[in-house]
Amino acid sequence: MSHASEHSAPAILNEVKATSLPRAKMVDNDRDFAWITDKICGIVEGKTPSWWWWCFAVACFMACFTVAGITYVVATGVGVWGHRSPVNWSWPIVNFVFWIGIGHAGTLISAILCLLRQKWRTSINRAAEAMTIFAVVCAGIFPVFHVGRVWYAWFLFPIPNYNNIWPQFRSPLEWDVFAVSTYGTVSVLFWYVGLLPDLATLRDRFALAGRETRAKIYGFFALGWRSSARAWSNYEMAYLILAGIATPLVLSVHTIVSFDFAVSLIPGWHTTIFPPYFVAGAIFSGFGMVLTLMLPLRAIYKLEDLITQYHIDCMCKITLATGTMVGYAYAMEFFIAWYSGNPYEGFTFINRAFGPYAWAYWIMISCNVITPQFFWFKAVRNNTTFVWVLSLFVNLGMWFERFVIICTSLTRDFLPSSWGYLSPTVIDIFTFFGTFGVFSVLFLLFIRFLPLMAMAEIKGVTPQADAFNGHKNPHA
Amino acid sequence: MSNPEVTSTHSAGAPASNKALTIGLAGIAVTLLGLVLSPVHIVATSWLVGIAYWCAIAIGFLLLTLIHHIFDAQWSTVLRRQFEHALSAFKWLALLFLPLLLITWFGAKDTIWPWMNPAHLLEGEGKTVANDMVYAKKSAFLNLNAFTIFSVLFFVVWIWISSRLRKASFTQDKDGNASWTKMNRMTAGFGIPLVALTLTFAAVYWLKSLEYHWFSTMYGVWYFANCMRGAYSCTILIMVWLYNRGDFKGILHSDHWHSVGKMMFAFTVFWGYISFSQYFLIWNANVPEETFWYNLREYGDWWGIGMVLVFGHFLLPFLLLLSYSRKVNKAPIRRIALWILGVIFIDMCWNILPAVKDAAGNPLPFFSLGLLWALTSTIGIGGICVWSYLKSFPTTKLIPIHDPRITESLTFHE
Amino acid sequence: MAEHPYGLIARFNTPGDLYHAAEKVRDAGYKNWDCLTPMPIHGLDTAMGVKRSIVPRFSLTGGITGFCTGMSMIWWMNAYDYKIIVGGKPLFSPLFAFPVSYELTILFTAFATIGGMFFLNGLTQLYHPVLKYDKIHRATDDSFFIVIETSDPRFNADNTRALLAEAGGLEIAELEA
Repeated sequence: MSHASEHSAPAILNEVKATSLPRAKMVDNDRDFAWITDKICGIVEGKTPSWWWWCFAVACFMACFTVAGITYVVATGVGVWGHRSPVNWSWPIVNFVFWIGIGHAGTLISAILCLLRQKWRTSINRAAEAMTIFAVVCAGIFPVFHVGRVWYAWFLFPIPNYNNIWPQFRSPLEWDVFAVSTYGTVSVLFWYVGLLPDLATLRDRFALAGRETRAKIYGFFALGWRSSARAWSNYEMAYLILAGIATPLVLSVHTIVSFDFAVSLIPGWHTTIFPPYFVAGAIFSGFGMVLTLMLPLRAIYKLEDLITQYHIDCMCKITLATGTMVGYAYAMEFFIAWYSGNPYEGFTFINRAFGPYAWAYWIMISCNVITPQFFWFKAVRNNTTFVWVLSLFVNLGMWFERFVIICTSLTRDFLPSSWGYLSPTVIDIFTFFGTFGVFSVLFLLFIRFLPLMAMAEIKGVTPQADAFNGHKNPHA
Repeated sequence: MSNPEVTSTHSAGAPASNKALTIGLAGIAVTLLGLVLSPVHIVATSWLVGIAYWCAIAIGFLLLTLIHHIFDAQWSTVLRRQFEHALSAFKWLALLFLPLLLITWFGAKDTIWPWMNPAHLLEGEGKTVANDMVYAKKSAFLNLNAFTIFSVLFFVVWIWISSRLRKASFTQDKDGNASWTKMNRMTAGFGIPLVALTLTFAAVYWLKSLEYHWFSTMYGVWYFANCMRGAYSCTILIMVWLYNRGDFKGILHSDHWHSVGKMMFAFTVFWGYISFSQYFLIWNANVPEETFWYNLREYGDWWGIGMVLVFGHFLLPFLLLLSYSRKVNKAPIRRIALWILGVIFIDMCWNILPAVKDAAGNPLPFFSLGLLWALTSTIGIGGICVWSYLKSFPTTKLIPIHDPRITESLTFHE
Repeated sequence: MAEHPYGLIARFNTPGDLYHAAEKVRDAGYKNWDCLTPMPIHGLDTAMGVKRSIVPRFSLTGGITGFCTGMSMIWWMNAYDYKIIVGGKPLFSPLFAFPVSYELTILFTAFATIGGMFFLNGLTQLYHPVLKYDKIHRATDDSFFIVIETSDPRFNADNTRALLAEAGGLEIAELEA
């Protein structure tokens, strides 16, 4: 009997014969590496399509509303936002939470799905991370400009000032400053680190094509990346760690945003499940936006081999799962509002469903609880147009969720003198709709000049990239 | 050619399962002895600690299996069979839950849950439950009939879903039919929301209503966090046991250990996040109708136990599980798993035992006889659960040999 | 032929070929060599004999620094330097100080991780001999390369070239410095 190994394979392994139920392929039609590179770089290298110019023009026009609105606010004063009663503050706060929430899907796709080893994330993570950064930019507009005297906004940071006063760290608004700043910074860094190998690819291709200026610009930002395996070793570790910290980061950012409300005493706001409920809702709305953005791009640029039906399926299922979590939170809130016996809590929930904002409440319920249930059905998931329409409803529903939470509690809080019905001013409305223009401008620039998918990562999850092809167990 | 070192899965199970049964019955016996030494309500509340503890672990295994199916997971297929064996404990847990129902139906109604007896005098408040307006508002939910029906319903749901999962998986070993996998995925689809709701309401009924003035929307999520942590820790113990026995040698490799270790880390962080959020929001608003629950748990030696939870249930496992080598080496990860199982017990005690109060309305100290009966209950019920697992273990193959993902799981590398 | 070449470079078509070739180069005792791949290849570190990356040490240092900075900053600013009583809350509590400290932990961890990775990779090295190779654009596209530097003590123009050829390398070429 040989003593070559202290154990030979257990007998049970001889009986193993996996039933055939093939996994979906990450890249359809067995595309090879060169095809992937050509496809994605082709978008950056080619001439700007005319539809892009039209969209860019419209986006710039919309963005002007925000620019004009902000200029007017700073020049005249925050009274132009109608902030004469607490409920009128709802508008900028809702929009802030809305945009920040959308950003969270990008980090989820990049970071959490990376930790969970979900390979399908590789086709959408670059665009989703870009979406995060641009959403944070749009979100940041509201808290920065709602302070009124924006030139004092630096007081929010712990920088010595001439009044010798420090920020007050018991305030959740101060925590927001750190949370959103950290989130923006880390998102940009994570996105940039992810871009390095692809910028190197573009550098090399531009150099090969003789386009020296472009090669130099992309080369500068590629920081001399030469695809060294030793560099990949450190890079992968850094990427994994960034994914590992971006996950608690995204959880903490929307948790801290939820703390804005939950640490108070206001009925409808002060409830302990807010942190995970807000996070689930953010991911839900973010995936809605990812679907809204990626499905048209997939059709326009013919990316069906890279964003396959499996990818769409997975995104729909996550939307369904997070929508269900949000539904669980609604149920718990409602149940505990009753269970607690607190008359104010009870009133708030009845008021939400049957009071002056009932219209908003039922839009929220139908968009957030009912709409995602369509994703149970394969026939629905396979119909890309229908999925896209549903994603719009998801976005709408999540805007209304923040609206319902914030408005219905502020419109009837403890002081009757504070009561009111929200009436956003024209400036309010145009500033918000303009942010969609700001987002679109940034996103259009992104898809024009940067590789909209993570080429190196996609190649990494194709079967051709596996040195073992699944046969040898390297650790046995 | 079989290796004489590899012990047959059919034989070594027997003496181990007898040992488990003996320990289980001994624990239960000592707890019954406790009825002689301590008042009934102390022993009964301690029994609830044991039930809550082992139901958490069983529910955790149920969720692990369901989540495995819904994700079409790759690495955990080799372990899933062990989860399914653990699910056999639910029927025994249902049986062991009966004493709590029997005591409340046939003994003093307020033995454990004060609201069950309208004449119960609320300690330190001077009024009875019947005159308590706060109770009146929730009496439609908190009444003995509803409690009983729902408790039975919870176990019915858990046992039903478990049996569906077990049957599909075990039958697939024999016929290798892919439709069993599809059935499991469907079970997971509706099962996860169903288990989420049942575990939430179980936590509300069995644990939160002990202090029925208090409320927190986060409570179900807290219980879920402990469910997952308990299940992953038990998974490690099972992996170590089977590896040392030889069954899993050549099957499990470092990436499997690392994956389980990472999940333990993730849920340690999750537990910390949930517990911190719940505490912090109540602390910050500082409303007496909510803070009193935490104030009770800062009385006497309970404050120290709370600190044990902060530093022992969160910080220590968090720091230890950061390191790669601790996750892939059997001795350290086994110690961490045992430690976590220990602090989950303390967490359950911290949530449940302060409900037992003296006449002034202050909770009895942690270091009192109630703790002893909680320990013996947990050991007793645990012995029965482990016995159930060991009885189920030899009835099937070690790993799901015809599962579509089994080869991937065996050759899985990060 | 260049006076002082930087090294030899060989191309491979598949990750499997590269993996086996890397094992051969590692076993032959070379130290100053590298593989170039368009994407990270699982297991290649082991094949090359590269140890686990030490980036986590940077991260941990960053994280601890961030957390301590946060807590001490808040204590100093709110409980020592300019005390304000707000909402009856204590002047300092680890509870309310936690959100900001947590964010700083993450921020500093991110900076340290990226800084450490850049440092270890020697990034922002816009000039490198390998980037002058006329087929190097395939390294970021679809091909795999092994580069062995002349500075390696075991380097020998003929033997090294033979090793690469035997390992399956195609288009073996010299790199100018």
